Amino acid sequence: MNKLTAELKVKIIDILNLQDLSPENFDENDRLVGGALGIDSIDVLEMVVMVERDYGVVINSQEVGEKIFSSLASLAEYIKENTPGSSP
Amino acid sequence: MEKRVYIAGLGIISPLGEGLAATEEALRDNRSAIRPLDLFPLLHGEPLPTGQVRGLAEQSDLPRTHRLALNAARQAMASANTPPDAIILGNTTGGILTTEALLRAKADNKELYRYHGLNSVAEYLAQELGCCGMAMTVSTACSSGAVAIALALEMLRRGKAKAVLAGGVDSLCRLTYFGFHSLQLVDRQGCHPLDADRHGMAVAEGAAMLLLTTEKPARPLAELLGAGLSCDAYHPAAPHPEGRGALRAMQAALADAGLNPTEISYINLHGTGTPENDLAEAKAVRTLFAAPPPLSSIKGATGHSLAASGAIEAVVAAIAVAKDFLPANTGCRNPDPALGLTPLRQPTNQATTAVLSNSFGFGGNNGCLVIAKADRFPPPSPKHGKAGLAIHGYACLTGAGDTAATLTLLAQGLPVAGTADLAGISANLPPNLVRRLKRLPRLTLSLALSAHQDSGFEAKPAAVFMGTGWGALSETHDFLTRLADSGEQFPSPTDFVGSVHNGPAGQTAILFGASGANITASGGDYSFEQALFAADLMLEEGQKSALVLGADEGHPVLSPLLDPSIAPDTLLADGGGGFCLSRKTAGAQCLVRIPFYQRSAAEGGIKALIDALGGAQTLNGKYALLLAGIPAAVREEGEGQLAEFLAQSGLQAPVIRYREFTGEFASASAVAAVMAASFLASGKVPGLLVSGDDLALAGKKNAILVLGLGRYLSAMKFSRP
Repeated sequence: MNKLTAELKVKIIDILNLQDLSPENFDENDRLVGGALGIDSIDVLEMVVMVERDYGVVINSQEVGEKIFSSLASLAEYIKENTPGSSP
Repeated sequence: MEKRVYIAGLGIISPLGEGLAATEEALRDNRSAIRPLDLFPLLHGEPLPTGQVRGLAEQSDLPRTHRLALNAARQAMASANTPPDAIILGNTTGGILTTEALLRAKADNKELYRYHGLNSVAEYLAQELGCCGMAMTVSTACSSGAVAIALALEMLRRGKAKAVLAGGVDSLCRLTYFGFHSLQLVDRQGCHPLDADRHGMAVAEGAAMLLLTTEKPARPLAELLGAGLSCDAYHPAAPHPEGRGALRAMQAALADAGLNPTEISYINLHGTGTPENDLAEAKAVRTLFAAPPPLSSIKGATGHSLAASGAIEAVVAAIAVAKDFLPANTGCRNPDPALGLTPLRQPTNQATTAVLSNSFGFGGNNGCLVIAKADRFPPPSPKHGKAGLAIHGYACLTGAGDTAATLTLLAQGLPVAGTADLAGISANLPPNLVRRLKRLPRLTLSLALSAHQDSGFEAKPAAVFMGTGWGALSETHDFLTRLADSGEQFPSPTDFVGSVHNGPAGQTAILFGASGANITASGGDYSFEQALFAADLMLEEGQKSALVLGADEGHPVLSPLLDPSIAPDTLLADGGGGFCLSRKTAGAQCLVRIPFYQRSAAEGGIKALIDALGGAQTLNGKYALLLAGIPAAVREEGEGQLAEFLAQSGLQAPVIRYREFTGEFASASAVAAVMAASFLASGKVPGLLVSGDDLALAGKKNAILVLGLGRYLSAMKFSRP
């Protein structure tokens, strides 16, 4: 889980170009979408693509996205539970 | 003087069929034409439902967009004896379906890309129809067709033309097919606008054109009674949740038409079928209409044909008033109670005098039209005064850097061509604001902020007019590259949203809260001139200030392929110019007008240009300097035109070929415009630019002429207030 969390921090900072943030000061329990980071629906979709491409986990953001992307920790949890071939 | 604008001809080709009769029949049958895509092969998965035009004749090298547009244009012109005075076309993706295939095949012969540009569609129509006037291209995403028609209305009302062919076109392509899917806006089950179980839109294609005239035709099909534009200034891709911008555009259209809400017989909704759009639109409709009239969206039948949709629905509105027939909300099974609207479930015959047609798009660009039975309502009262715009602030960006750096080099007679680094361009932009933005939107925002700052105005500008020849090339390139590299599996939603031509103007509106008209024009090397022309048409007296911007980015891969003036060994150059202007001449730095814009192939073009500038004597008495825009691709033709102009007018002013200084890029004329404004502000032209002493802009001879030469002839006049 820690490895996944650390990995996600780097990826999200990169794909969303969050220049003010470093993996060290990225709190996985902070509010991810709609919070101070300024992450919105387009960023969510960009993360959806990344999660599908890099982890093979499909997220239909219209239905479940809001909950999954509430924090980085919840995203990591979802990926872990839904990774093909892995037992939860 | 009051001027009615009549609809003298209509043309339509859509998934419903070709021509008015086929369209009406399909609507009367309440038939959906949405089917799985088969226009181009897919590498993965089941094709999504789309609105595809069937049976369009193939033609070797002409992109589908051009063929759709010509088909609709010929229909609209069928009963006209003379070509239109101007063409205004809404379009978002030009010949990109062809470009996508060429890029995948790694074709590097730039001749093959000649139909890529958005402007190439309108210019192709002009050539085929023999139109010698302006061929203007409007790109405001999904409201493009409606905004094109709104501009045509103003052009006619102001007497700048007697007959304008206006409409919209888009063909299906990978960019929009995969782009909207990446935004999870596509309904896999078709399209069900206003339904409780709706999941999105169906991307579609088509074209529709309206021949609009101020001379009353023998049998007018309908009257274009009014139009209203607004911008959400809220989000690049999502509508304002309360439908704030939609409401303002509808209110503006009704006010422009001189109608009360109770006088509207039917509303043709934008109704894309996405949960957010339909909800926001419903809220706006319920706010404006205490008891909404019959209403429906036809997008469950046609799909969403993007730039064409506003024009297609204007044609449907004209059919509604001509035939007293209201189309159903095809595909809606159980109206969503949350919307509080009762869409028409069946096609209905009903007396119809005035229709409100809604179009909303990315960037929060909204355009609403009012189409009515001819002569049924009083003509709207004229509201416009003199033409001409007062410049209060200006700014430019070039390879040399910002305005000061650029003007310093120019004053030394040195070129400013090149591409400034991204960090420098972004120096005045908050990092969080621009983290998702690539080169063109950053250039644009930087210009907008600097021009507004230079004006000294505290009040924020209310409207934005943007010209760009090629749009956001980085985003377009990156989207298509990642799409191809990932085997069509993982396109970037961010790049898709950023790829639309009106993205930068939409970002500018968000930055300033500019909720008025927001128009992006794309006229190749004349894009800035088209934006200025649009501003002069749409900016009302007494209104707050507006921004007029012109910018292009130099892209290492795409610019040499697409821009005919940029060869592989040409120094890559980019930048642009921005102005903060209003109708108030008091305190202005200078004034600008755009007295001429015509196709150069027209007979006697140079003489007409000289006449439009007041004749040879006036020219010689007024103009101290000529800035000539001759794109490299048309150097011989442009030099010939310039020589002819100088010979015929006998103009004795020095000539600066400004692209020798700015480098080659489509909106170089925006930098030339800033040069002109800065010379007037300082009262002199630097001597090293005119190979002599400083040229004082004093006395009566104090105006500067900026000419665009080549395929079109355009003139911008800069003068003292």
